[in-house]
Amino acid sequence: MADKMLEVKELKMYFQTKKGYVKAIDGVNFDVLKGETTGFVGESGCGKTSIGLTLLRILPDNAEIRGGEVLFKGGDLLGDDINEYVDLLKLSDTDARKIKWKGISMVFQAAMNALNPVYKVGDQIVEAIKFHEPDVTKEESRERVAKLFELVGMDPERMENYPHEFSGGMRQRAVIAMALSTHPKMIIMDEPTTALDVIVQDQIMNEIKKIQERLKMTMIYVSHDISVIAEVSKRMAVMYAGRIVEYADAVSVFKHPLHPYTKGLMASFPSIRGELKRLEGIPGEPPNLVDPPTGCRFHPRCPYAREICKKKEPKYREISTNHWVACHAEAGGV
Amino acid sequence: MNLIEIKDLSKFFPVSRKIFARKSYVHAVDEVSLGIKKGEVFGLVGESGCGKTTTGKLLVRLMDPTGGAILFDGKNVSGLKGKKLMNFRKHVQMIFQDPYESLNPRFTVHGSVKEPLDIQRIGDREEREERIDSALREVGLTPPEAYYGRFPHELSGGQRQRLSIARAMVTNPDFIVADEPTSMLDVSIRAGIMNLMLKLRKELSLTCLFVTHDLAAARYMCDKIAVMYLGKLVEIAETEELIGSPLHPYTRALLSAVPVPDPTFERKRIKITGHVSTPIDPKEECRFLPRCPCSRDVCKERQPDLKEVRAGHWVACHFPER
Amino acid sequence: MYYDDKKKKKKGTIGIVAKSLKENWLIFKEEKIGIIGLALIIFFLIFGLLLPAYEHAMGPEEYNPLVGMDLDLNRNPVTGTFSHPPSKAHPLGTDFKGSDLLAQLMNGSQMAFLVGIVVALSSVAIGTVVGLVSGYYGGSLIDSLLMRISEIILSLPLLPLVIVVAAVLGRLSIWGLVFVLAILLWPNTAKIIRSQTLSLRERPYVESARVAGASGFRIMFRHLAPNVLPLSIVYMTLNVTSAILIEASVSFLGFGDPTKVSWGMMLQWCKTQGHLFKALWWMLPPGGCIGLLCMAFYFVGTAMMPIINPSLRKR
Repeated sequence: MADKMLEVKELKMYFQTKKGYVKAIDGVNFDVLKGETTGFVGESGCGKTSIGLTLLRILPDNAEIRGGEVLFKGGDLLGDDINEYVDLLKLSDTDARKIKWKGISMVFQAAMNALNPVYKVGDQIVEAIKFHEPDVTKEESRERVAKLFELVGMDPERMENYPHEFSGGMRQRAVIAMALSTHPKMIIMDEPTTALDVIVQDQIMNEIKKIQERLKMTMIYVSHDISVIAEVSKRMAVMYAGRIVEYADAVSVFKHPLHPYTKGLMASFPSIRGELKRLEGIPGEPPNLVDPPTGCRFHPRCPYAREICKKKEPKYREISTNHWVACHAEAGGV
Repeated sequence: MNLIEIKDLSKFFPVSRKIFARKSYVHAVDEVSLGIKKGEVFGLVGESGCGKTTTGKLLVRLMDPTGGAILFDGKNVSGLKGKKLMNFRKHVQMIFQDPYESLNPRFTVHGSVKEPLDIQRIGDREEREERIDSALREVGLTPPEAYYGRFPHELSGGQRQRLSIARAMVTNPDFIVADEPTSMLDVSIRAGIMNLMLKLRKELSLTCLFVTHDLAAARYMCDKIAVMYLGKLVEIAETEELIGSPLHPYTRALLSAVPVPDPTFERKRIKITGHVSTPIDPKEECRFLPRCPCSRDVCKERQPDLKEVRAGHWVACHFPER
Repeated sequence: MYYDDKKKKKKGTIGIVAKSLKENWLIFKEEKIGIIGLALIIFFLIFGLLLPAYEHAMGPEEYNPLVGMDLDLNRNPVTGTFSHPPSKAHPLGTDFKGSDLLAQLMNGSQMAFLVGIVVALSSVAIGTVVGLVSGYYGGSLIDSLLMRISEIILSLPLLPLVIVVAAVLGRLSIWGLVFVLAILLWPNTAKIIRSQTLSLRERPYVESARVAGASGFRIMFRHLAPNVLPLSIVYMTLNVTSAILIEASVSFLGFGDPTKVSWGMMLQWCKTQGHLFKALWWMLPPGGCIGLLCMAFYFVGTAMMPIINPSLRKR
């Protein structure tokens, strides 16, 4: 059994709004194995971005952690010889800061807009390094940045440029370089290529794959595009309305999708290759997370829904080896 | 005869430079020519900045062309004004990309669908109500009465886009330009919208220009696809022909870059290096030259013309077979 | 024609207005000073409206704000005139000729609202229309023309110009003043509305209207105006304060309409009668009211900002 970098158990996180609590993450369980990419796929509001924010503790003020455990293999970062794993939810702010960036770092959606326009790109990354590792000298930092640029496929001389002199794709690479600059154990990528054109997206995805192979990086990759998840992930989780509905290795999910939502998603993506067939999509709309449907949250849109689906939440269970599904049909056969 | 015919259509935007320098222009659309048959769904694909959205807007006369002609049903419509332009608008409509911004937030559903009828003074009171009713039914917003008084912010993204389609369809147009109608919608909703558009095409013999950057969606929706790059058309062919045997190096690279929803599929990526040439005052050479894997001398000297290399398959490349 | 057409139409517009009013009220409520401002405005409104009742109750002949005099009063040895400090018969005292000050103050309140609201409404109406046209045709000749005119007007000093006009005409009636103020105040609204229109013009729903064949007029008044109106309303409250202050200043300086009792007039009479520091009960209330009412409108305007600018909202 490969080493677990992250183990999440029954994570719950709600947002408090005027209209009530938005149940953004409602009981999520998954593992991230060392050196692998775990993909999260789902539509808007399913909670996939919230997971990254919760792990890094960068939630807005109205967010509340309602329960769960997040065990991260970062004990050594806190100087703890006994405990290998630490619960990220229970760390103090000082400890959490030590874990951030050296333990886990994150590349956000449209992060290329997060670069400060008045500083050179290289300087911004140097600053990030110095902030988290004050002992590193400036020369060492600059050398690191040069190597990082090469790693992400850019000419190191471009360190001296300003963000507006970079194209969108290059800016995204710069942000990825920044996330890698502190040699984190795990990196979370949230839709890193969504705002980019097809060809650039392909180039960046390829770089990410190469980086992962070279550095044996542990990665969480979040996207709404199952094609992208298919190409990048080893294991993947399909999320709907704050819950994981299916979780298995990518090939199994694509070849033998078990959950009706997963099947529906597969039937929503047109493909360039293969037979041209009618896309069915999924009827209805993504649910309101303040007042989600009772029982199984997918039941209003599910073609296989039965009485029990409206009343009881399906249990998340392991149907076949390492293939987890939350569906009543799976318990009794479709 | 083609319902829509574009001949050497161009749109240049002036770029403000220093006061005494010669004026520069962005060649957003550069001598584009194509024809769309009645009942056809014609795809216009390309990456951002290639000019596809601008072409769409020129076709619905949201902008005036800098050069070239647009022929609708054989008649030149590029210079229409006044009453004739109004009449044209009855026949040609547009669906926009952003379902959140393309509907006036203060108009009710009923009001949004009614407006085109009021502007065009179509029918009397009763007839307009009938049309609004059937338009909403056509797009699946039933029962219509339940939707009449609602506002856009009360509807979901998919419902809003359906409303936009209803508004575009209410004057019974012959031709619709759809500018990335699904790119801002959730994935599971896109199929519904695309299927709706295909249904309308079948039932009403609607002709459609489908502008998108999503090649997979273009393959699903379109009979024919044209690929644009930096304002120029580089390839036109029937869908399966284009997907199966792309002849232009850009089309090939584009197709190879599209991710496939199959983890076991080994995609043969065509690596593209080099910079994108500037659309401002471009030189007389092939626009794709700096990134083309197989360029020759002639590519630096002349822009390639769009030639019919195989039956119904047009390419703008000096060496398409490579 | 359908029998319930009129009913449907009415419900529609009223329904829309009522709904957005309720939503906006909730946002407005968040800023406490807005509530204070609104309370003050309502107070002064009622205050002004109570004048006929007050007059009637106390004696219409004597308590008329302009010509009424209390003939039962004797000269006040302290002031040397018939000006007396507050008493049971005259809750705020009397002026130099024995007129009741409370009645005058109430009348002043009426005047303030009249001048303020009329000037505000007209200047904002003109400014909004100019702003919409200018913005929609931004960059064209008509835009340049309108903006140049606006700039010329904006460069004129408000108070001195009004005084000059008053002096040239000999006497400036209250309606003359209102007219001049409306002319001088529309440009600041016009400029703001114009820039708002310029940005809204590019919105997809405006493009959608153009594709449907909407004329410029329709786009300006059915699509852009409703979205620009909230901004106009905020500017209206600011123009009210300008109008009230200018009227008060002009009257105080002696160029106002002597047939109208306004707070500024009251101050002018106090000054010309030499009672400025002799009769504090006469001097302080009008000035205080001017200050309070202007402040109230300003507060309301500030509290309305989050309605037009969602990013300022508290939650």
